[in-house]
Amino acid sequence: MAATQGIKSSGGLGIPSLKTGMAAIAGVMMLVDLYFIFMVAPTDAVLGHVQRVFYFHVPIAIMSFLAFFVVFLGSLMYLIKRTPKWDAIAHASAEVGVVFVTLALLTGIIWARPVWNTWWTWEPRLTTTLILWLIYVAYLMVRSYAPTESKAAIYAAVMGIIGFVDVPIVYYSVVWWRSIHPSPVVGPFAESDALTGTMSLILLYSLITFVFLFIYMVMERMSLRKMEEELGKIRFSLRRRRR
Amino acid sequence: MLELILLDTHLPSANLPYLFAAFAISWVVLFGYLFYVNRRQHEMRKEITRLQHVLEQSPENE
Repeated sequence: MAATQGIKSSGGLGIPSLKTGMAAIAGVMMLVDLYFIFMVAPTDAVLGHVQRVFYFHVPIAIMSFLAFFVVFLGSLMYLIKRTPKWDAIAHASAEVGVVFVTLALLTGIIWARPVWNTWWTWEPRLTTTLILWLIYVAYLMVRSYAPTESKAAIYAAVMGIIGFVDVPIVYYSVVWWRSIHPSPVVGPFAESDALTGTMSLILLYSLITFVFLFIYMVMERMSLRKMEEELGKIRFSLRRRRR
Repeated sequence: MLELILLDTHLPSANLPYLFAAFAISWVVLFGYLFYVNRRQHEMRKEITRLQHVLEQSPENE
């Protein structure tokens, strides 16, 4: 009976009110963001309306960097402390990061067609971003194919630390090499006059919106992982009793 | 050689399908992922409840 109670007592699967609150904030902020993007942001004189993709494309790309930074931190902390909590954070953040980097590539491809007259070109920013996507897809595959959960966590932690090396390479690729991709608009190499005041404010707002969405998505993924662990414990108890 | 260009294809509004595609794909991927995670959570919750019931009914608990 104690085993059953032990499993039951750990049944707090996430923090529903916090998750709901985060979802509500992200949802409302996203609606306001869409209003700003389509009704307030100025139309680009050269690129036209398609330039509005910028307010989604840039924050999404930055969120993928943030996600992989969290993977890096979580992985490092897991290797130091060996606490499953850090592995769970890294795992959830990696999966959400892959979603964001996939979207960064897709929105970039769609934006490139009318602007560069091609869907894809093997220039430094695009190529390094594709490599980033492959690294973290491989990270998720390593987790799936590892023989045990503890080995999966260790292998993934090592990959999460080494894989992060590509993030600064992606950022600096447009500075280091000749590239047709525009220069950074955020960070140390951002051009001061790249954006007008309104554009900067809308980009900042969009960025904050995506931070809330990112946190919400990571929380949802962590809840799922908690349930997977819970299910594993119950199955283990059942197997032990049937032996 | 003189190159003829259709003016309306170079107007800003001509890029609207790309704008629509970029936002539509973003929403589909984001909602798709959240829907997938929520469906998995729902399935897990059902399975946990079912197995907890089985565990309570198992001989060692009696």
